[in-house]
Amino acid sequence: MKVGRATIHSYWLMFIATVITVSIVTSSQLITDRIGLLLDRQASELLAADMVIISSREFDADYRQQALQHGLQVSNSVSLRSAIFIGDDPQLVELKAVDDAYPLRGRLERTREVTGGRSATTEIPARGEVWVDTKLAQLVGSALTLGEAKFDTSWLLTFEPDRGGAIFNLAPRVLMNLEDLSRTGLVVPGSRVRYRMMFAGEQGDINRFKIWLTINLKAGEEIQDLENARPEMRQALESTRKFFALAIVLTLVIAMAAIAITARYTANREAPKVAMLRAFGISQQSLFRYYLRQLGSLWIVATVSGIALGWFTQFPLQWALDGWFGKTLPQVHSLKPYFSAGLVGLLALAGFSLPYLANATATPPMQVLRTAVNRRSWMRGLLITGSAIVAVFVVLVLLMQSSLLAVATLALVLACAFILPLILGWMVKLLLFSTQRRFWLRQYLLSRLQAASRGAIYVMSGFSLVLISILLIAVVKDELLGSWQEQLPENIPNYFLINIRSDDIEAVGAYMQQHRIEASTPYALARARLKQINSIDASAIDFVHPRAEHMIKHTFNITHARELPDQNEIIAGEWLDPDNPRPQLSVEQGMADKLGLEVGDELTLTVGSMTLRAPVTSIRSVVWENFKPNFYLIANPELLADLPQTGLLSAFIEEQNKADLKHLLQRFPSITLLDITELMARVRGIVDKASVALQFFFLFALASALIVLLAAIQTGRHEREIESSLLRALSAHTNQLYRVHILEFTLMGALIGFFSACFATVAGWAISVYFFNIEFHFSVAVWAYSLLSSCLVLTIAGTLVSRRVYNVSPMKILRS
Amino acid sequence: MAEDNLCIALNQVGKSVDTPDGKLDILKNISLDVKYQEAVVIKGASGSGKTTLLGLMAGLDQASSGDVFLFGENLTRKSEEQRSSIRAGRVGFVFQSFHLVQGANAMQNVMLPLELAGKAGAQQLAMESLQQVGLAHKTGTLVEHLSGGEQQRVAIARAFAVKPQVLFADEPTGNLDAVTGRQIADLMFHLRDQSGTTLVLVTHENELLERGDRQILIESGKLLTSQA
Repeated sequence: MKVGRATIHSYWLMFIATVITVSIVTSSQLITDRIGLLLDRQASELLAADMVIISSREFDADYRQQALQHGLQVSNSVSLRSAIFIGDDPQLVELKAVDDAYPLRGRLERTREVTGGRSATTEIPARGEVWVDTKLAQLVGSALTLGEAKFDTSWLLTFEPDRGGAIFNLAPRVLMNLEDLSRTGLVVPGSRVRYRMMFAGEQGDINRFKIWLTINLKAGEEIQDLENARPEMRQALESTRKFFALAIVLTLVIAMAAIAITARYTANREAPKVAMLRAFGISQQSLFRYYLRQLGSLWIVATVSGIALGWFTQFPLQWALDGWFGKTLPQVHSLKPYFSAGLVGLLALAGFSLPYLANATATPPMQVLRTAVNRRSWMRGLLITGSAIVAVFVVLVLLMQSSLLAVATLALVLACAFILPLILGWMVKLLLFSTQRRFWLRQYLLSRLQAASRGAIYVMSGFSLVLISILLIAVVKDELLGSWQEQLPENIPNYFLINIRSDDIEAVGAYMQQHRIEASTPYALARARLKQINSIDASAIDFVHPRAEHMIKHTFNITHARELPDQNEIIAGEWLDPDNPRPQLSVEQGMADKLGLEVGDELTLTVGSMTLRAPVTSIRSVVWENFKPNFYLIANPELLADLPQTGLLSAFIEEQNKADLKHLLQRFPSITLLDITELMARVRGIVDKASVALQFFFLFALASALIVLLAAIQTGRHEREIESSLLRALSAHTNQLYRVHILEFTLMGALIGFFSACFATVAGWAISVYFFNIEFHFSVAVWAYSLLSSCLVLTIAGTLVSRRVYNVSPMKILRS
Repeated sequence: MAEDNLCIALNQVGKSVDTPDGKLDILKNISLDVKYQEAVVIKGASGSGKTTLLGLMAGLDQASSGDVFLFGENLTRKSEEQRSSIRAGRVGFVFQSFHLVQGANAMQNVMLPLELAGKAGAQQLAMESLQQVGLAHKTGTLVEHLSGGEQQRVAIARAFAVKPQVLFADEPTGNLDAVTGRQIADLMFHLRDQSGTTLVLVTHENELLERGDRQILIESGKLLTSQA
């Protein structure tokens, strides 16, 4: 069969709906892959690579060789602690030696003075040079002895991408060239050295290399990539990805609703033609084959057009996002988005329209003689419903990576599809009942909404589904961003002051007050290692979680507190009892999950040379992305009383107070100052940019919504024309016709708006609480937006689209 | 100028439409008078132009040439809105396909023209009208649940509810079986006799033709006879 204009002309609404569906899948897959890649890269900058392996021993040379063969860039760094002397005072430093390729992602930033302007650089310290932490600002321009070698201190290092996850454990940084390391003589057998081999490249190459590496990794070597790197980054990325997936699926649901409604419209329109053809003896099978060919033609043209449209939409989005990201979206070379788009188009078209057209082919030939509604048998009803459910489910399974999200979305769509017509029908009946024998015009309008022939209830249900989806995207977006804003208010701490000697803590607090710098109360810090769980040696336990081993092998911060820290929530057990001096421990939820800890378990910890034993009395959830001091373990003060501790506090230091920093560091030389402004800006940026990208998908949602509306209005157009013609014959004036139509659309809009706001609020709450784990806030704006937009859009679009109806000749009633 | 006792007057009226093959004359030089309280039945085959003639007389359509007077007003140069105003509350219609508002009940359908014309006591008037057609017990029934005969009764009640000066009926029994059709015709002529409403009825049935005060035959857009 020729793909003719006639096919598209007959099914143009269905065609546009299919094109939009295919476009959404094409562009969402292309764009999300590209944005995902960019987000990964941006996050990679915080690792200084796409993947890192860490070990306390030198790496096998084969790793580098294999990585290069996989087409990856490779860089090496070596970190160790050493002491330097400032005057006569020893100072512990975190020495890091890097090669020329470092960093593979992100850039170093440096300055000459603490308060001076920073500049990004692609260089690393030249041989014979070191760059030092701002804490060591007084050393710039002087010589520094490291082990057996002397170095010139040329720059202050203000930012390094992979400053590390355990940000409170840093001694001041000294960065040097890897080629100088051997001169220092610091690396000797038995030295505590951390070797890092960093890799960067195309995602596919990284994935392939990771598989090789996982198989060949030796004991004591650990892979770090985005999934297990910074907890704050991981959560930001995870939420962003989930949100993207949700928004795109909802947009797709809108587009599929458009296909369903346009298919219904087309099938209704084809019914008289089918009746006539069947009266002439054309079999139902032949007719079905005919429509199958028509749909096939439509799918081919719509897929090609949709893929082309989807491909082109990358460019405006790329243009819009470039300004935000400051760099070009990376290219994705894969045919998968196009295949997925074609397949989804086919599934949606077949699932939604075939049953309707099958039903149309069953139009009784008697309809030629007498116009009667082609009532569906329950079997055909089941076919239509079942087919649509299967189509939606297969599409969701195809596109979703989260099975929870797929099932939740399917449940939402089914709830809408089954419950919406019922509830809207009841609402209209209720209004009808309440207005019985009063305000006739209103009742007449309600009768119009209930008229089966116009299918107004189904149209309203379809439009409600669209509005609910749009509202849900908006509600969840606001909640997500809102929750981020709450966690990252403008004046959150931007500096951490660590390594405060216990003797200095009071003086540092007084200094902050004197200079009017907002600062938190100090936390005491000790480094602990987990030795036993319930008297069983932790290293002998076979943990299920891959990160458990890491937690056993490494030390982590432990603090004490009387009160539960901000944004911590007890999820099991009870918070440390301040009146009970016996040992008590509160464990972070993630740590408890990884190690399989429960309230009542007894932990044995070593801190320095001392051993502590304490039961777990509570498990806490922690908001890692809030950039406040967060701890895996919190003990009651009595437990840590005799242990050596240093102080930690966070402070918000404004630009104008930065000069005070220099004085602070001079007065309290043990303090290490950690600037986290950059890190915060990057995390905040990810969510901001993701939300910009999402606005783009609103355009698709709106286009689909308009198609739904257009199909909806077209569906009842013939009836409207006849009715207007009748009213004209019965002497109605044009303004009366306008009034009736405007009121009808406004009433429709109000019902849809009210119901959609109800549904979106409940669903938004469920998604926020159970899916994103964020607090939900009731939004009046959602209700106002829902009611206003629904009334306005329906009234304006409905009145405009059906304007020809108002000018219909009353003669039509005689001719019909 | 039409005479005062004429409800409808057509003077050399023609109606033509443009088609791809050129201009098509549907009605040619029709001159016809209908007096108040007269019952005129127009008969013609399909395509003879009888429905077009009815539409012109009722002011639903505009003539291409000549003058059409309704209630003494020349409709020829009147806009659709003006013609609507002339019809409002004075004209009733009964259609072959009933043309009731689906989703509305019998009462609401009968009240429709009364509400549009802004008549007070619409509900009372509609109730009376439904009683006259014998459907007082079905006022709340949705019209799609009524039989064909009952639907046409509702349409007749709707037409007479406004107490029209003239009732236009287009094949009012065309969609009904012979027995029901006869009952509907009886009802319509009975109500017309009671109210003294002018009736213009278009049909192709001989039985109905004979019930008019005057019979008009139309063929290919021309009046053949006009018998008193």
